[in-house]
Amino acid sequence: MSEEGKDTRSFWQVFKAGLIFENPLLVLMIGICSSLAVTSNVSNGIGMGLAMTFVLVFSEIFISAFRKLIPNAARLPIFIIIIAAFTTIVDLVMKAYFPALSKSMGVFIPLIVVNCIIMGRVEAYSSKQKVISSIADAFGMGLGYTWVLIVIAAVRELLGNGTFAGIQVMPVSYTPILFFILPPGGFLVFGLLMSVNNAIKRSINKREALAAKQVSDQQKAKENA
Amino acid sequence: MKNNTIKLGLILAAFAVVACASLAVVYQVTEPAIASQAQDALNASLKELFPEATSHEDITSAVSSSDETVKIEEAYLVKNDLAPLGVAIKASTASYKGPATVLIGVRLDRSITGVRILEISDTPGLGANAASPTYYVDKEKKITFPGQFTGKYITDKFEVKTDVIPITAATVTSKAITKIVKVASASAGAYLQAMALGTAAPSATSGASQEATQPAAEATSGASAEGTATQSAEPAAETTSGASQ
Amino acid sequence: MDLIRIFVLALLVNNIVLMRFIALCSYIGMTGDIGQSIGMGTSVTFVTVLATAVTWPIYHYILMPLNLTFLKILVFILVIACLVQLVEFYLKKNVPGLYSAMGIYLPLITTNCAILAVTFESIDFNYTFIQSIVYAVGVSLGYLLAMILLAGVRDRMKTSKVPKFLQGTPILFVATSLIGMAFMGFAGLMK
Repeated sequence: MSEEGKDTRSFWQVFKAGLIFENPLLVLMIGICSSLAVTSNVSNGIGMGLAMTFVLVFSEIFISAFRKLIPNAARLPIFIIIIAAFTTIVDLVMKAYFPALSKSMGVFIPLIVVNCIIMGRVEAYSSKQKVISSIADAFGMGLGYTWVLIVIAAVRELLGNGTFAGIQVMPVSYTPILFFILPPGGFLVFGLLMSVNNAIKRSINKREALAAKQVSDQQKAKENA
Repeated sequence: MKNNTIKLGLILAAFAVVACASLAVVYQVTEPAIASQAQDALNASLKELFPEATSHEDITSAVSSSDETVKIEEAYLVKNDLAPLGVAIKASTASYKGPATVLIGVRLDRSITGVRILEISDTPGLGANAASPTYYVDKEKKITFPGQFTGKYITDKFEVKTDVIPITAATVTSKAITKIVKVASASAGAYLQAMALGTAAPSATSGASQEATQPAAEATSGASAEGTATQSAEPAAETTSGASQ
Repeated sequence: MDLIRIFVLALLVNNIVLMRFIALCSYIGMTGDIGQSIGMGTSVTFVTVLATAVTWPIYHYILMPLNLTFLKILVFILVIACLVQLVEFYLKKNVPGLYSAMGIYLPLITTNCAILAVTFESIDFNYTFIQSIVYAVGVSLGYLLAMILLAGVRDRMKTSKVPKFLQGTPILFVATSLIGMAFMGFAGLMK
């Protein structure tokens, strides 16, 4: 496998990219599949985020470490085998030591194996980059995924149930708006969150464009002077 | 070309074998924990229904459901040391959106010790309230939907809105769970009667007359507590003699 | 559970996309065009039913007796990957038009959460073989239905004024939320 296009960013830059600037859910818009189903409450959101991060980190480490040994023609089935193995490990460990959470998340833990984020990052990044960069990418993407899940789950659980991770937060007189825990509410919250993110990105871009324009205006003024 | 394909196949197989081997190892490590989880969960639920329970015996094959829409999944004879306390039955039926699974306990005196909702997939805020510990059908006495069955006898009517308080706006769920309790408790009663354990339920409404007269006949034929003890001892004696042959 | 009940629950009441959030990637990505949606939906239906028909016996007659149930995830996803490859070869040879129209989304069927979810659930719900097939058909037709619905809505939206910050994907989620609310009305269908 060629080493062209090696990522020269530092560990922290790669990590921050996954966390914020290239956030898989809000920016790259992948991995949405399972993310809405597990965000009806915060505990599930945290569980899913961490489980997915575990599979992502270990898959990226292994695939990056063995990237020279994986023939290009057979790479997809081999990626699948590795990702499926780690997903199974997470599934078994959760069934054994976190049975309540495992039951609550149901079929979505085994479904981590087809999470677009993992397959996408493994194919696009860790099969071509060195192990240390892959670790940074995996943690960045995984934790970026996790914090967005927690935000969605927090909104849905607070408004829909008055609780946060099972702890009563809203005053007892608050009548929970059931809509938010039900699927349509989930879609709505996610759509609105994405639009908020769009608005923020747009304003950041505007500011940057304005700043760039100021700099180029100053330069032009200098040249003309 | 063919050589290349074989080489690819071998590398693929190598990865597969390593993956399967590692999974086998993880499985060995986690399997005891997973198995004991299921066992602990069962023990915990049985203990909730029968606080004095120390052991249980699987009697699933000896218990049958009289209604084909209610499926009896597991049944246990719950004991304190060797003395039977009652029967616990796990049964399910179709509810609003999916199956509802319930665990009920019936004492030797044919009263219901309690009902626990194990699985319900109905709408949160409506049918799902059956399993909520804070949703009360009787707000004054703070009784939950399944809680109201405690103390009822298996010969009760089990009719929603007559002797069972339904969950508001969740009639289908209420009826489904009531049906499970009615059928499962009847099956428990049938088992207890067949094994001649305990005393009959108090003769209730006319609908349960057949059940009430038979055990009543047994009771009047001098089958006191000692009488029932000899009855159950006899079959035991028979089986031991059969075994020695 | 009788077969009609399983089918209706899978198709409408518990619709896999609108009520269970599964298979969203392709749902958002492939509904730009009604033709594309139908193509994708029918391909997924075909692969799902075939995958269920293959994985169910593998689990019950190979994995279970040999005590290898922990290999379920690995084996099932590999079976699906192989089936998708076979479908690809077949389409390339016999229906090249559809093959090129689907482009990159054809291999993407492998990662379609719906297919894998159906194969897992046929095992978890303890369905018989026939029940599993009925379930697979119901779920994938539900997926097809959701795809067609959203494609239709998107078509209409091309000529409407969407607020700036909702443009692109956010408005699709809001639209899905509304369709989903309509689907909740199906809940009373089955007694």
